[in-house]
Amino acid sequence: MAEREIIISVRGLAKRFGSQQIWTNLNLDVYRGEILGIVGGSGQGKSVLLRVITGLVEPDAGTVEVFGRDVRELTPEETVLMEARWGVLFQDGALFSSLSVLQNIQVPMREHLDLPQSMMDELAFLKLAMVGLKPDSAHKNPSELSGGMRKRAGLARALALDPEIVFLDEPTAGLDPIGASDFDNLIRKLQQTLGLTVYMVTHDLDTIFRVCDRVAVLADQTVVRTGAPESLVKHPDHPWIKEYFCGERARAAFA
Amino acid sequence: MLKRDHGVVLPTSIRAPGFRVELEGTVFRLLATGSWTVHEAVKLDGALTRLQVPIPPTPEFTGEVDVSGIAELDTAGAWLLQKTADRWSGSGLDTSFSGTTESFRILIDEVGRRVETKPVDEEDPGTVKDFSGEMTRALGGIWQDARLLTSFLGAVTDTFGRLIKEPWRFRPLSFLHHIDHAGLRAVPIIALICLLIGAVVMQQAVVQLRPFGADIFAVNMLGILALREVGVLLTAIMVAGRSGSAFTAEIGSMKMREEIDAMRTLGVDPMDTLVAPRILALIVVLPLLTFVGDIMCLVGGGLMAKAYLGLDVAAYMEQLHSIVDFRHFMAGMVKAPFAALIIGLVGCLEGLKVSGSAESLGKHVTSAVVKAIFLVIVFDAIFAMFLSAIGI
Repeated sequence: MAEREIIISVRGLAKRFGSQQIWTNLNLDVYRGEILGIVGGSGQGKSVLLRVITGLVEPDAGTVEVFGRDVRELTPEETVLMEARWGVLFQDGALFSSLSVLQNIQVPMREHLDLPQSMMDELAFLKLAMVGLKPDSAHKNPSELSGGMRKRAGLARALALDPEIVFLDEPTAGLDPIGASDFDNLIRKLQQTLGLTVYMVTHDLDTIFRVCDRVAVLADQTVVRTGAPESLVKHPDHPWIKEYFCGERARAAFA
Repeated sequence: MLKRDHGVVLPTSIRAPGFRVELEGTVFRLLATGSWTVHEAVKLDGALTRLQVPIPPTPEFTGEVDVSGIAELDTAGAWLLQKTADRWSGSGLDTSFSGTTESFRILIDEVGRRVETKPVDEEDPGTVKDFSGEMTRALGGIWQDARLLTSFLGAVTDTFGRLIKEPWRFRPLSFLHHIDHAGLRAVPIIALICLLIGAVVMQQAVVQLRPFGADIFAVNMLGILALREVGVLLTAIMVAGRSGSAFTAEIGSMKMREEIDAMRTLGVDPMDTLVAPRILALIVVLPLLTFVGDIMCLVGGGLMAKAYLGLDVAAYMEQLHSIVDFRHFMAGMVKAPFAALIIGLVGCLEGLKVSGSAESLGKHVTSAVVKAIFLVIVFDAIFAMFLSAIGI
């Protein structure tokens, strides 16, 4: 395989909230077409890193390059174009509660493209089917859906424009094991189907071993290790990694 | 979006999407080229719809969609190709795909599987049916509201009864908090509004009565009006806008985050902890605020009496005393606790009616204010008629 293309490149990131220093000099690369899992203890800034990369939170220092462009140096027009190339699934889906599921999926289409309503409907139903939701949930309101369905609908919205990168914030949190494993398979399948690059913040050991190509471990205010999950299990050379990947729960997940 | 060759920046001429149809032997071939993405979907869809579906002269003719010229493909592009292939198959041409790479094939197959699940339309009742349905819902809604409010009044009464029997259930801290928020902090705005309205009413009355030489009676008019109606109404409307909406928003957001359900499971009765202190605080506070409002109305009138009639304080007071007595004051004051009860009931009830969405919260806050003000004015009118009838 040829030299892998770096699609997200984070350099020298620092961030402080009040008296709490979250990172000093954090570096991270994400390659095209991989599923990268971000793990780390509470308060290590896993979700904040996602927000920094997508431009929702300003870092104190450092640069973030996506598709080779510094996210913070884009003109507003370029930012809009950039946003069409990635999709974000927030923790609880973050569906707009005043819109139906179908309308939610069509929001990015309306914003970025000029499509006739009939085509938007058909495409939205297609996305809905691709994330495994039944067509009859299309006209429901988000509050009428279960947690797992809301996540699927949120994923459908994130995929509305066929983005190149999808950011997932704890996609399996709050799902039962069966629902979580279905969601893992869904992510895997969509990644293969659409050639996605997946950036996934997660706690779930099952998810890590089942779908992640590579894992980046956040600890000590930086990324301490990256590598395939299996290699981290074999060579846990950091106390937190040892505890996380070689603890009782990890053995159960790995077995 | 899938690219045939990652990392190569394509020249624009290759990216321009297009297709042509060829007949080779017994195979109708659709050659698709360029970038088949959602950005080009409208153009492509139009062109594909205009494309005549080839009619096979004999059954051995087949169709083929050749995607080897496609540089970029996404879901929308795959969907268009699948739709075309389906149309050809429908007209008797057995159509298949060729020239696919591994990744293109996965996407096209996946989309093909999903296209079979047909969209469901939302039920759209006819206009007449829609209108009559809307009317029935609206009328039913009024009936439903009245029923709910009455039963909520019953529940609140029951709660108060229990609180008298078991006074340790009462939350004094919450009660004082609401006295502070709904009462003390409302004083400046209510004082200001009542002062201004008192002044305006006085000034208008003087201007209207002056041609008859009856301008001194403007003081009588203001005295009666302020004590019986304006003071209590203005105060109640301000409190409904300030505190009624706040009650709905507070209780509603707790309902949204399932805090109310959590309280119930912990054996904490939301009626005791949320509803009773709020309503009781309003019942205590609104008469006091009404008193402030009454006085400020008279003060505003006095300022205008000084400016337009040249009455000093003593003369103004004397004129007031000649017409106003305690029963006029009481006729206004007696309405205040009832207005407080209405505002508190409606505010808390609307808060408890909030369901999951942020939109529902906004809707219920609005309706709490509108219903509270409406009911306060209706009750004021009933009181006015009743009090006149018994001669007060």
